[in-house]
Amino acid sequence: MDLQNTSLTGLRQLLDSRSISAPELADAYLDRIRTVDDTLLSYITVTPEEARAQAQKAQARIDAGNAAPLTGIPLAIKDNLCTDGVRTTCSSRMLEDFVPPYDATVVEKLKAQDFVMLGKASMDEFAMGGSNQTSAFAKTRNPYDTSCVPGGSSGGSAAAVSAGLCAAALGSDTGGSIRQPAAFCGVTGLKPTYGRVSRYGLVAFASSLDQIGPIAHSARDCGILLSAIAGQDPRDATSAAQPVPDFNEKVGKSLKGMKIALPKEFYGEAVDDEVKEAVLAAAKTYASMGAELVDCSISTLKYAVAAYYLIASAEAASNLSRFDGIKYGLRGEGKTFDQMIRDSRSRGFGDEVKRRILLGNYALSSGYYDAYYRKALALKQEFIQEYDRIFQTADIILTPTAPTVAYPIGQQDQDPVKMYTADICTVTVNIASLPAISTPCGYNKAGMPIGMSLIGRRFDEATLIQAADAFEQGFTVIPAKPEGGAAK
Amino acid sequence: MRLYPTIGLEIHAELLTKSKVFCTCSAEFGGEPNSRCCPVCSGLPGTLPVLNRKAVEYIVKAGYTMNCDISRFTKWDRKNYFYPDLPKAYQISQMPRPVCLNGHVDIRVNGEDKVIRINRIHLEEDAGKLVHDEAAHVSLADYNRCGIPLIEIVTEPDFHSAEDVTAFVEKIRQLLQYAGVCDGKMEQGSLRCDVNISLAEPGAPLGTRAEIKNLNSVKAIGRAIDYEIYRQTEILEAGGKVHQETRRFSDSTGETTAMRSKEDAHDYRYFPDPDIPPIIFTEQELEEIRASLPEMPEQRLARYLAWGIAKNEAETLLSDKRISDFFDAAAASYPNPKAIASFILVELMRRINLGEADMGTLPFDGAALARLVELGETDKINKSNMKDILRSMLETGKTADQIAEEENLWIREDLGLAESVIDKLLADNPGPVAQYRSGEQKVFGFLMGQANKALKGAATPKAIKELLEKKLKG
Amino acid sequence: MDKTTLAHLCELSKLDYPEDQQDAVIAQMDDIIALMDTVKEYDVTYDDTRDHNEIPYEALREDEAQPSFDTARLQQNTQPRDDCYVVPKMME
Repeated sequence: MDLQNTSLTGLRQLLDSRSISAPELADAYLDRIRTVDDTLLSYITVTPEEARAQAQKAQARIDAGNAAPLTGIPLAIKDNLCTDGVRTTCSSRMLEDFVPPYDATVVEKLKAQDFVMLGKASMDEFAMGGSNQTSAFAKTRNPYDTSCVPGGSSGGSAAAVSAGLCAAALGSDTGGSIRQPAAFCGVTGLKPTYGRVSRYGLVAFASSLDQIGPIAHSARDCGILLSAIAGQDPRDATSAAQPVPDFNEKVGKSLKGMKIALPKEFYGEAVDDEVKEAVLAAAKTYASMGAELVDCSISTLKYAVAAYYLIASAEAASNLSRFDGIKYGLRGEGKTFDQMIRDSRSRGFGDEVKRRILLGNYALSSGYYDAYYRKALALKQEFIQEYDRIFQTADIILTPTAPTVAYPIGQQDQDPVKMYTADICTVTVNIASLPAISTPCGYNKAGMPIGMSLIGRRFDEATLIQAADAFEQGFTVIPAKPEGGAAK
Repeated sequence: MRLYPTIGLEIHAELLTKSKVFCTCSAEFGGEPNSRCCPVCSGLPGTLPVLNRKAVEYIVKAGYTMNCDISRFTKWDRKNYFYPDLPKAYQISQMPRPVCLNGHVDIRVNGEDKVIRINRIHLEEDAGKLVHDEAAHVSLADYNRCGIPLIEIVTEPDFHSAEDVTAFVEKIRQLLQYAGVCDGKMEQGSLRCDVNISLAEPGAPLGTRAEIKNLNSVKAIGRAIDYEIYRQTEILEAGGKVHQETRRFSDSTGETTAMRSKEDAHDYRYFPDPDIPPIIFTEQELEEIRASLPEMPEQRLARYLAWGIAKNEAETLLSDKRISDFFDAAAASYPNPKAIASFILVELMRRINLGEADMGTLPFDGAALARLVELGETDKINKSNMKDILRSMLETGKTADQIAEEENLWIREDLGLAESVIDKLLADNPGPVAQYRSGEQKVFGFLMGQANKALKGAATPKAIKELLEKKLKG
Repeated sequence: MDKTTLAHLCELSKLDYPEDQQDAVIAQMDDIIALMDTVKEYDVTYDDTRDHNEIPYEALREDEAQPSFDTARLQQNTQPRDDCYVVPKMME
């Protein structure tokens, strides 16, 4: 069975027709994790026992004839989503031994369908990073070239999907953390509208920007997974009172007359030529399907990275204050409370997390608040207005997902400013609370995948899935070969 | 140099909701350590606060009782600081957009009416409690109190004496109790007070202020202020300077001492809490909340005065909502409010002041007390027995009727017996009878006393008096 | 950024850097803050009433108390004493 070439509907058919049992399917993935993941490091924690128990339970449900769309489907869960009884580390020494006593709402919803959890996917520490190299435990590698980064922060989830180590995965996206690793690993990732999915049980990075979403082999698979996790949650006051549609309801419908905007600032000098060419070629493909391409501009884009890092870091500084070693997490030493928490935090957090905390407290501290944090909030309103304006004349927006393809480990992930600047294509989507999907649109000369992003109106994920699916139908995926030459 | 104190207050009041302000744990006082906690109020990662509507309703009510403007748009902020009683390392509070703004409360101090301006009232969460273990050199944190809804009432610096402040705190406690939003139990910490106090010459700019934290009785507030006025006066008159600092008051020494500050930096980095959306009220919602306010002390006072109760008596009844509620229940059962009020204020309050009874744990309700008053007022029993029946009711929980029956205290109206007893009395006392008949009416009192004594329970005093008069004249 | 500023931020953040790392951290933070300074070029004022993320009062949670969480499970990631969280002795 080719686990890199599966679809959720395909697996559903295999399971429902008894061509394969849920335990067999789980074992197939667990076997592949055993062979491949020593190199790839996409999981922090593999949970074979839980997976087999859940597969047995799923099989009973399948046998009883009332399988849900994800019953028996093996998935990876990003390690910042709390899982009752299974350690949840956020890739941080701080939470190395943390075992939550509760499930995140999204995990609860998947369990209600009797999914199979293969394990917890690696990530950048506390989701801060775009390379997975800030992980304290598993610095994930790119399945297309293990000397390259998989992107981040949901790099483990994206690499696992790409390498066939799970059927699909959950990630989280605060400034591109689903879309950018999906692009780097040649898979599809959907960042839902802010409020679409409950954040309860997601260890918070930046609460006004965080959103949980799917990473999968296709837009349709993303739609299936999103349908399973979306909806208002009484435990998250920011989850929206919006009806949950069938997100795949528009799949297969013609794109004729759909207006696709290409904001010129997203195609500037900062973006690699190969990336630009692939995305513009995809635009032509859309035009050939009858879509109408619209030129537009987001003049404030040059402020986006700074505005994003100010808001995200301010919230992160506050969100991460609860890690003091008292209730959970790495407990430092010290004769006084102050000494103890300083020791806990200095030893528990990695360099990038510490930088963000310093930056956040800088932006919020008295004397700097108006110039930085408050200005960033004002810019947020400007971005919302700019996008509103574009969506008056366009249905979706097409941009590159990242300025480059996956780069070699160590090349730029040690330079914070370079790393931050590389988020230019993704962060405004989070700032403006919009949904966006990244799907592969080509490969560069070296064979590394290139991703394009479609951005939609708030709560209009269905149109994004429709458009991404339309492109995917004519696009040939070149699977990654994570085993490498030697393993063959 | 004459120095003049200027004082402002921050009063914290815990709201009487069933559940905590941001999670569904019980908001009751006490409990085994960490038994009224969940992942949300214990600050576990990934958890989120969800605002309790009742807490918002209650702060709006509190605002209306203090004549505040209610913001149609209100939102919550994080106050960031590290302390082991604060599991998230931030307190959810309100900074730029509190629920209530610009109120005022009228008080009366030594016969003078004063208006105290309210700057703002905002809704926040309470912190946990620390117990210190000296021997083991550790502190133990209990988060049961974390997340109990708290309102902070911030006044303008409109006070100039301890009497001003204590009158105001009593008034606030009364308003919150009547509105049904806070039980006002200072001894349990459900009402706490921080006092800012500075001294200056009249007309001069305000002096440097000291803040006295966490005063939890009206008496302590008065003593702390008086001590602080004395302390600052001594310093200033000796040419010294008052330090801006936080101080603590000791009940045992009656003095304030400088406290170690919670955080040296004191930069709380307030910013809007991204987990809690701002809320908006409709005019109708606010009108409904206002209309749902129960009768407040001013309105009750008017009603009591209309009933003919003296103002000082009415004010005493109103000073404790439980007494006023008890009185209202009694008056509803037997519409003789003046007699009931006087019995409560004289007899029941005496028992309470003697420590024989507690308003919170009376073994009978207002109707039962009203029945006792009714029996006395309608001469079913002798009024002189009412005091003893009340004590018996407090001790046994029995009704006035039961006790009158068991103790044989009913008045029988046996006029035949009365007539023969009075005849005998007059025959036995020819001297006083002759005195009376010769115009010395003073002796009537003596004869009446003798008749009452001999006829206890056989007839009402009124009947005895009539009969005696008739016989003497006849 | 100078060492005093770094020390202040470390106090707010409850973090410590060894002496020999501080210059490198300051250099990195200077670069990052230079990037953040771009927002200063944009002239706009924040008005919180324009966020439009508010919810109606009636949408708030009902005041219903639920049974609390099992204390032992709540404290499964620490070593409590007498069901309390243990911290170094607080001086008041």
